[in-house]
Amino acid sequence: MSSVRPSAPQRRRTAARAGVVVLAATALAACSSTGPATTDRTGIIIGRAMDVNSLDISRSLCDTCQIYNSAVYETLVRATPDGELDPLLAESWEANEDSTQFTFTLDPDAVFADGSPVEAKDVAWSWLRLQNLQGLPSYFMQGITGVEAPDERTVVVTSAAPNSAFLNITSASYMGIVNSDVAAENGATADADAATSDSAEQWFLANSAGSGQYVLDSYAEGSEIVLSANDQYWGEEPNFSSVTIKEVTDASAQLQQLQQGDIDLAMQISFDALDQIESDESLTTDVVPSYNFLYLALSPGVAGGEALQDVRVRNAIRMGIDYDTVIDATLAGNGERQSTGIPNGFEGAEDLPIPDFDPEGAKALLAEAGYPDGLTLDATYPTFSAYGVNSNTEMQSIQQSLAEAGVTLNLSPVDFSTWGDAIGTTGYPVTAIYFAPDHPDTIQYFQYFSLIDGSVWAGRARMPVNPEENTLVAQALAQSGDERTATYAQLGQLMYDDAIILPVVNPKYILASSADLEGNNYDITRNLDLTRLTFAD
Amino acid sequence: MLRFTLRRLALMPLLLWGIVTIAFFLSRSVSDNPLATIVGERNLGNPEVVAAATARWGLDKSLPEQYWLYLTNLLHGDLGTSFRTKSAVLSDLGTRLPATAELALFALVIALVIGTLLGVVAARRKGGVVDGAVRVAALVGSSLPVFWVGLVFLFVFYATLGIAPSPGRLSARVIPPPDVTGLYTVDALLAGDWPLFVDAFEHLLMPAFIMSLALLGTVARLVRSQMLEEQGADYVRTARAKGMSRGQVLDRHVLKNAITPVVTLVGVSVGLLIMGAVLIETIFSWNGIGTYAVESSRALDFPAITGVCLVGGVLFLVGNLLTDVAYATIDPRVRLS
Repeated sequence: MSSVRPSAPQRRRTAARAGVVVLAATALAACSSTGPATTDRTGIIIGRAMDVNSLDISRSLCDTCQIYNSAVYETLVRATPDGELDPLLAESWEANEDSTQFTFTLDPDAVFADGSPVEAKDVAWSWLRLQNLQGLPSYFMQGITGVEAPDERTVVVTSAAPNSAFLNITSASYMGIVNSDVAAENGATADADAATSDSAEQWFLANSAGSGQYVLDSYAEGSEIVLSANDQYWGEEPNFSSVTIKEVTDASAQLQQLQQGDIDLAMQISFDALDQIESDESLTTDVVPSYNFLYLALSPGVAGGEALQDVRVRNAIRMGIDYDTVIDATLAGNGERQSTGIPNGFEGAEDLPIPDFDPEGAKALLAEAGYPDGLTLDATYPTFSAYGVNSNTEMQSIQQSLAEAGVTLNLSPVDFSTWGDAIGTTGYPVTAIYFAPDHPDTIQYFQYFSLIDGSVWAGRARMPVNPEENTLVAQALAQSGDERTATYAQLGQLMYDDAIILPVVNPKYILASSADLEGNNYDITRNLDLTRLTFAD
Repeated sequence: MLRFTLRRLALMPLLLWGIVTIAFFLSRSVSDNPLATIVGERNLGNPEVVAAATARWGLDKSLPEQYWLYLTNLLHGDLGTSFRTKSAVLSDLGTRLPATAELALFALVIALVIGTLLGVVAARRKGGVVDGAVRVAALVGSSLPVFWVGLVFLFVFYATLGIAPSPGRLSARVIPPPDVTGLYTVDALLAGDWPLFVDAFEHLLMPAFIMSLALLGTVARLVRSQMLEEQGADYVRTARAKGMSRGQVLDRHVLKNAITPVVTLVGVSVGLLIMGAVLIETIFSWNGIGTYAVESSRALDFPAITGVCLVGGVLFLVGNLLTDVAYATIDPRVRLS
């Protein structure tokens, strides 16, 4: 077989023609384009820096997970914006007199996305799996000794000790109910050895098995989560045909995309851009209080923290922080001061003292404690940007104000993995981190920050347990109503007096969206409650 | 050449084993513990959760045990499961690599076409205004930090003028093409969806152009200097003596010889472009392997780190092999042995 090799000019002409054809085809396609296939405007696109650690509800623990979990799964009760509990999967519930047993009656209309009814066995299975996986959110089931399903609609939960907070805890998005039959078919188990035998986490990255308004359509890690409306939804019809949570890491990129209409709602807009958003008629914005806070933690029991063993030194540090300046530096003034490890607005925080900047008072306290010339402390903290606050800016501002009070703070920013490795072992005399609530009950703060048995910060600070706090926490868990509020306030005051956790700022939150989106919100358990969002007609 | 290629291919597993071994032990030699990112701040003080996580991710085993397990699984095509994404590393790489490859290949094409054109034009107008302009442009292109150019371009063309598409691989609400190659432009064409192809192409244009800048400048300068060097060669004088015009000699002979070193540059650059795409990917919300590598490193995600190193190794080895073969094909003076 022979072939005739074209001459160079011929080859060039052929190549040129091919190029022209490709360009013409592209141009033609562009000109005649009616646009690629799109999802229509009935779907909402939310821009946020995603922090997903898992889409398996019983292994997840993150802000984005709260949005996802509450969209796809449902809890037995839901927390209202004013902190009350409304029915969701459970139509009624009751606790026994000493809050050790809780009985829920399920709504007979509730069905999963595959049309099968939500039954008591699904609740028992979901909660036992949550407990037995020993995953990140397993602490929600702490102290629960049994979850039983005596019939299809009744769930009975037993607690080893009184736990009046349990009803509030069940409103946390991580307590959502999974279709046990579907999940079990795909490797999930609630058995005691679930921590080693459950193999469903990867399945949950591509599938959901809940009864919520939406089902998982697709998930591209680092890119987007796409949810579509659950056709079988048993309650009010979802407001959107689809929900896309799009990864937009940077706050300025969120603003640009919101202004260009590429996203409908931006969740982490910087306060620096507030004026710009407010002057843009195509956008709507509101600044609301949040329950998140950033705090300084003092650990008197670790090496280098000896001076902190004197509570006067700890109080001097509290008085030496120029809160308003720090809030100005980090959030352009959009934050509040907070008393102790209970955020403003939570039960028991109402009458607690709010710290003031008093450098002279701090110096006097230090002198009284034996440090008339001041003292030097090492502060090691993870570098992060959370709730609009950059940890470096925060700590540099604190360092400056403390210097005025005679405290020299040597700052060491480290990676989170470095910080995490040391915080539980050698510890840090001074550090800084943040906290966001999971549910509307104040007990979570005492269990984490106060000097009681099992408290995370009692351990990290190497401080002895305060028996009074121990007793009051147990007492609060056996109380309800005003009695419990009074005990929470008492505990809050004790935590304030401990001066181990020194909140620096309770940041406000910017709700920013396109002008035709109504109902933008900040929600304790859901982070963003999709049921309250809707496009204006 | 066949023997050379086969010998290089036969050596590849050994080299990859070396890369995997170094990556495995180097990543685990850091003093930090990945558990902090696996269990999160709130659970660090919870011994049950920490113990369950330690066992689940095999961190309770000795390093040699972990290494042996990793190698055994690797032989079965299992690169492990990412601590961070919770999915199989192979699947993560399969999703991320095509995104970056599409970007890098397009950037390479832009760099080669424009860079070569600029180089040729500058060589033909040596010492003139055009030559000076090309040299300055090439220098500027090579020197400007890509993250800065990316941010400026986005601000000007997307946020201010509104003529460039949003960051990302497709417009908002656009449904991606059925996954065949993972390259959206190619998959859109395979699906016969022209509007989708145009959308993907438009999104590719700006990040790929910015990504190509450094290489484009290098190619332009290399082609220019090579062409000028070749112009003094004997064969050029002979061709001119035979009556060929200067332009014909440059196009038919000089350019062909001058382009040879560019092949070497391309071979090395493919791997560098793909593995160094992190800045462009971050700015343009391009979910590729660059961001995956950085996020995995920050989280001390050992399986993912080792997987990325393995992919990087394969890319460089294959790139080098193809360069050698291409070099010998283009330049008959080169003998592979």
